[in-house]
Amino acid sequence: MSDEILRPPAEVKYAEELDWLESIDDAPKPFTWRLSPRMVRLFILGSERADGLDREVSQKWFGDRSFVERSIVTLASDRGLLLIGDPGTGKSWLAELLAAAICRNSTLVVQGTAGTTEDHIKYSWNVSMVIAKGQSRASMIPSPIMTAMETGRIGRFEELTRSTSDVQDALISILSEKYISIPELSTDNIAFAQPGFSIIATANSRDRGVNDLSSALKRRFNFVRIPVVTNKKSEAEIVRFRTVELLRRHEIELEVPPTLLDILLQSFADLRAASAAAGSDDERLESALSTAEQIGVLEDAVLHSNFFGDRTLRAETLAGSLVGSLARRSPEDLAILNKYWHGVVEPRSKQDGGEWPAFLEGGRQAISTLS
Amino acid sequence: MSGAFSALRGQLVDAAARFAGGPDALSEILAGIVDDVDRALAEPLEIFPVCHHSPSSGLAMVRRLRAKQPKVIYLELCEDLRPLLDELRNCRLPVALQAFASETDGFPKDWSPLNVVAPITEASAEYQAIAYALDTPGVELVLVDRSTDHVFQWLPREPETPQSTVDDEETDLHGDAVGIEIGDLRPRFAELEEHLLHHGKVRHWSEWWDQYVEQPLVGADYEEYRQVMVLIGSLFRRLAPSRGDERLARDEDRERYMWTRMREHLAATGTDRADCLYVCGAFHAASRVAQFGSAEPAEAYEPSPRTATRWLYGLIPSSHGAIEAQFGLASGSVSIAGATWSRALTRYAVTPFQLDGQQGSRKRAKKALAAQPVVDPPTTDRLSGFLSGPPLLHGLDEEELLGWSVDIVRLARRNGYLASTADAIAVFETSILLAGMRNRRRPTPYDFQDAAVTCIEKDVVPGRRDVRRLCEILLGGDRIGQVGYDALPPLARDVYDRLAPLGLDLDRRTIQRALMNLDAEPELVPCSHLLWVLRRLLPRGAVRPIMGQRRLGQRSPQESWDLDIGRNQRAIIELGYEGVTVEQVLEQRLRKAVREPQATAAKALEAVEDALLYLDSRRFTDELGGRAVELLAAERTVDDAPEVLRRIRGLLAYYRTAEPALPHWCEEFVKVGYAHYCTLLPTAFVEDETPVRQVAAMLGFLFTLESLALSLGCDRAQLELAVRQSHPESPAKVALLWAARTQLGQLTIAELRERTDALLDNPLVVPAFPQYLSGFVQSLEPAPGLAGFVVEAMSKAFARLPDPVLLPWLPTLITTLKEQAGELVPVLVREAARTFPAGLAAVDAWTPPWERRTAPATHTAVALPVGGPAADLLAAHPAATDALAALLGLEPGWRAVTPAGAGPAGVNGAHGTTGTGAAEAQALLESHPETARALAALLSP
Repeated sequence: MSDEILRPPAEVKYAEELDWLESIDDAPKPFTWRLSPRMVRLFILGSERADGLDREVSQKWFGDRSFVERSIVTLASDRGLLLIGDPGTGKSWLAELLAAAICRNSTLVVQGTAGTTEDHIKYSWNVSMVIAKGQSRASMIPSPIMTAMETGRIGRFEELTRSTSDVQDALISILSEKYISIPELSTDNIAFAQPGFSIIATANSRDRGVNDLSSALKRRFNFVRIPVVTNKKSEAEIVRFRTVELLRRHEIELEVPPTLLDILLQSFADLRAASAAAGSDDERLESALSTAEQIGVLEDAVLHSNFFGDRTLRAETLAGSLVGSLARRSPEDLAILNKYWHGVVEPRSKQDGGEWPAFLEGGRQAISTLS
Repeated sequence: MSGAFSALRGQLVDAAARFAGGPDALSEILAGIVDDVDRALAEPLEIFPVCHHSPSSGLAMVRRLRAKQPKVIYLELCEDLRPLLDELRNCRLPVALQAFASETDGFPKDWSPLNVVAPITEASAEYQAIAYALDTPGVELVLVDRSTDHVFQWLPREPETPQSTVDDEETDLHGDAVGIEIGDLRPRFAELEEHLLHHGKVRHWSEWWDQYVEQPLVGADYEEYRQVMVLIGSLFRRLAPSRGDERLARDEDRERYMWTRMREHLAATGTDRADCLYVCGAFHAASRVAQFGSAEPAEAYEPSPRTATRWLYGLIPSSHGAIEAQFGLASGSVSIAGATWSRALTRYAVTPFQLDGQQGSRKRAKKALAAQPVVDPPTTDRLSGFLSGPPLLHGLDEEELLGWSVDIVRLARRNGYLASTADAIAVFETSILLAGMRNRRRPTPYDFQDAAVTCIEKDVVPGRRDVRRLCEILLGGDRIGQVGYDALPPLARDVYDRLAPLGLDLDRRTIQRALMNLDAEPELVPCSHLLWVLRRLLPRGAVRPIMGQRRLGQRSPQESWDLDIGRNQRAIIELGYEGVTVEQVLEQRLRKAVREPQATAAKALEAVEDALLYLDSRRFTDELGGRAVELLAAERTVDDAPEVLRRIRGLLAYYRTAEPALPHWCEEFVKVGYAHYCTLLPTAFVEDETPVRQVAAMLGFLFTLESLALSLGCDRAQLELAVRQSHPESPAKVALLWAARTQLGQLTIAELRERTDALLDNPLVVPAFPQYLSGFVQSLEPAPGLAGFVVEAMSKAFARLPDPVLLPWLPTLITTLKEQAGELVPVLVREAARTFPAGLAAVDAWTPPWERRTAPATHTAVALPVGGPAADLLAAHPAATDALAALLGLEPGWRAVTPAGAGPAGVNGAHGTTGTGAAEAQALLESHPETARALAALLSP
């Protein structure tokens, strides 16, 4: 199946590994969980030699161990889990992995937008069936959250703070009473949640305040704040892991030289430091400079080299992709990049040599093209 | 060894395998560890291995002391700190033992002052040993580690990076001291620690220790405790990089030192080794040096002698936060260890030792030591049991966790979080789940902390305490120690005594407000004086005047102070190392400031000012003043000229009002200064690196103090010559020179104006005109009389300079005025206000005075009739008036003078007008005589 899908969900992609883990897992499992909490952690953070497993389990999410532990524990408790962080910090990926490991279904997702209505969270009706047969369970379209409730699985709510407050508050009763009543029906008019049901929501910390959560809803969620990865070593691991995955998906045989990966990480680290030191938004790049952004830059460069280059990733291409991805506002972002290129990259290329001179040249060209 | 340690075993064996470098090496290491443990346990002089901030060490210590009741305790602590230990009972722990040396001998100069601290907390094993030894009759406490002098002797000469770079007030209690502690037990290289943390699935070292060592050890018996501790010490020792590790070499030297000292003591006192207990870090218990053991070694160790450095000793307050910061421990770990210690005491019903009179902690009933016979159980081989057995499960301490959960919610609510009972339930549940997931038998404070953060923290509000911090507070908080009055050095005690009349509790760690009405309560005057001295000596904010000031010749009748003495106790104690009273310390500091090689005349004058303000000693002030004269005469630059001028002016003004005559040094200073600045003036005018401001200040000194200098025997010709020798090239200095010459009478205002106008007329010079103007502005310092001219020049500049020159210069003008001539601006503004019309309406009809003056002599007609004895005298001796006129830039012209009372005819046309007026007035008075008569009546008696 995974061969036919562009991006298989985690439970499909890691189906074999999950099966194996389930087969060896003899620890007690909460509710209807497919894996015990420790196994869920092992699935997400990978195995160690000390775990004494017959095969190695790869690490799939890179970050502080305690975040994962706190998330798993929250899902085993009575409360929903809200992952908060800057864009690109891996919140959705963690949510997907958690759902996949716990209930083997990470696709019960509601995407929060300004247009999300209460129907998307509860249920809606198949109008033609209602006209033909009247309102009944058969003519009802349950939302992903309702499906998760009725099947005792994990429902996901992406970008919770993007949806309006009244829609968000529909979750309050779902999280407290654990049922949805369907007043349109006279019988069978309550959908009860099965054991194992919980909700993982994600919220973008940059959007906070747009539709801030009501305190009643906050009370029903445990918050886990995921920071931007600033540790160079873990960041390199994340970028490498995701890039390999992307290359495999695109079926591209191309190697990312470690020196170029270093240049990319260093550039992002420099730009982040500059953003932190900037006094106003105009002196700051619009991009959050997250790890996901780095992966995006690298993917862009790889695709460009593969289809328009000589199938080798070069520093010039990487520089072009970096400028192209980060220059969103003209002239502010371009001015910042220009300053960075001349103030930091140029001295570094003189001092360190290696791929930096090519990176400098590529960036210069890209900036002049966009200017 | 019971199965409680199976997790620890897994961790250590794994680490040994990872870093041993091969299976052979691994088996060698494991065998070596067994040897180390055997050796340590077989030593007839009982070794008690400890780890710092380990409650289980403390607990084992209490149990062992009660069981064994040793007569001599050897402690791994600098031997010269011993006298301080008796003072611990006067303090509230944690405090730090401090050794301090400001004058060093045999150490690199830049190390000074040398400062060592050894913090002592109540939950530590060493405190238990100290309390037992000091309060039990017949027990001797011997510190055996190298002296503080050796600490620095053995340091690498390349200075290490400072350990503490924290700015936080609470964690900076130790300042930049070098920290020493008993039982430092931590992996010696980063990779090993990283490995243990990674595989132990914990975040920091304190958590690893708590989970894998502390918890299993709390319930262990003594033999088990010793074996595990020595084992860990041995492993870390064996895995430490052996080659080129200076730290290991130092440690081995310390071990040789300690064993040598113990053997010496045993030999000297003849104590039975069985009655002794040697308390040292587990790392040292696994020592392999040749001198290890109480038996006489093959090779003797001779420690190096101490240097001649004079060490001073004292106690300073410490805090859990400061200890964590100093020794790189995770935030809150010492507090959590303290909380674990208290819990363990309750759980195992152990009564700890405590020094009599110890402040701050709950009083415990002193339990008399039962005379138990020493029954040493045979040492069993528990090391092999370490390899098997399931973990022993303790029952959950539900009550305690429940208490924490409820309390954290209450605390969170008080701190502005929206937390409810539901959160308490969630925290409780989450803690248990987290502990289960982390393979812990019961939730540790770290699990609880994580659970609380997960369930309660929803928003990050700047300035609000985060939940992690609240948990630390809940679990004991950062305890801050205090040194009791009796343990303070004489200076600090003197400060407390002298501030007693204020009636404030100076021990409190909050800011206290002192209000003093010095007129109504003259007994507070000494307090006020002391506070001013303390303000000069202590760090910023320790004592802060809110109302009232002390300047030369000025004292406030009422003062209000913010005192933060409680939080600055360390600073006061450290002042105590410098002298016996604050006045003495200040005197020494001032003397040192003027004697150091980089001292300048300006600094010396500042010291004089401080001495006048804070120390009432004419002799000392004169000494400092004399030094200022020497420094001024020796100075080769004029960088400090503005500062020197400002300060000497202030001092002269003070002495003139406060004393009948100027002190001798002041006169000398002016004389030397006059000659000195005259000599340097020509060079300063020419040198590019000397700014205009400095030259202006020199001229200011020469002109404004000239009368005094001349009265003291200086010669004005020297100044005139110096000005004549000055040939500046930069426009600003040229303008300054012109101003100086005008002031000296070598140039008239008219000539000066002419030269300025010529500059404005010359298109080649116009761009440099602003610089000339800067020079003129600076010249207000030496020649304030030129203010009118400067306003004129500036007005002309605004009127006539082309925009491309004027506009770029305006910001420069403003910033220059602000930075360099702040005190001259009021003069300028006042003069401008006098020159320009006050209202807008008057501007149209206004003609600048300098243009009016240049208008032809139509105004001379209004000259008044002159006459009388003064006019006669002037007319008879015209030279002085002529000279004055020349100085003012006027053309001398004499008119014929009519004696007073003579008729109006004869002088010039103007007299006709005056004569007519008199006749008319006479006619008016005659026709209306009432007014004149009334006036006469009024004036007549």
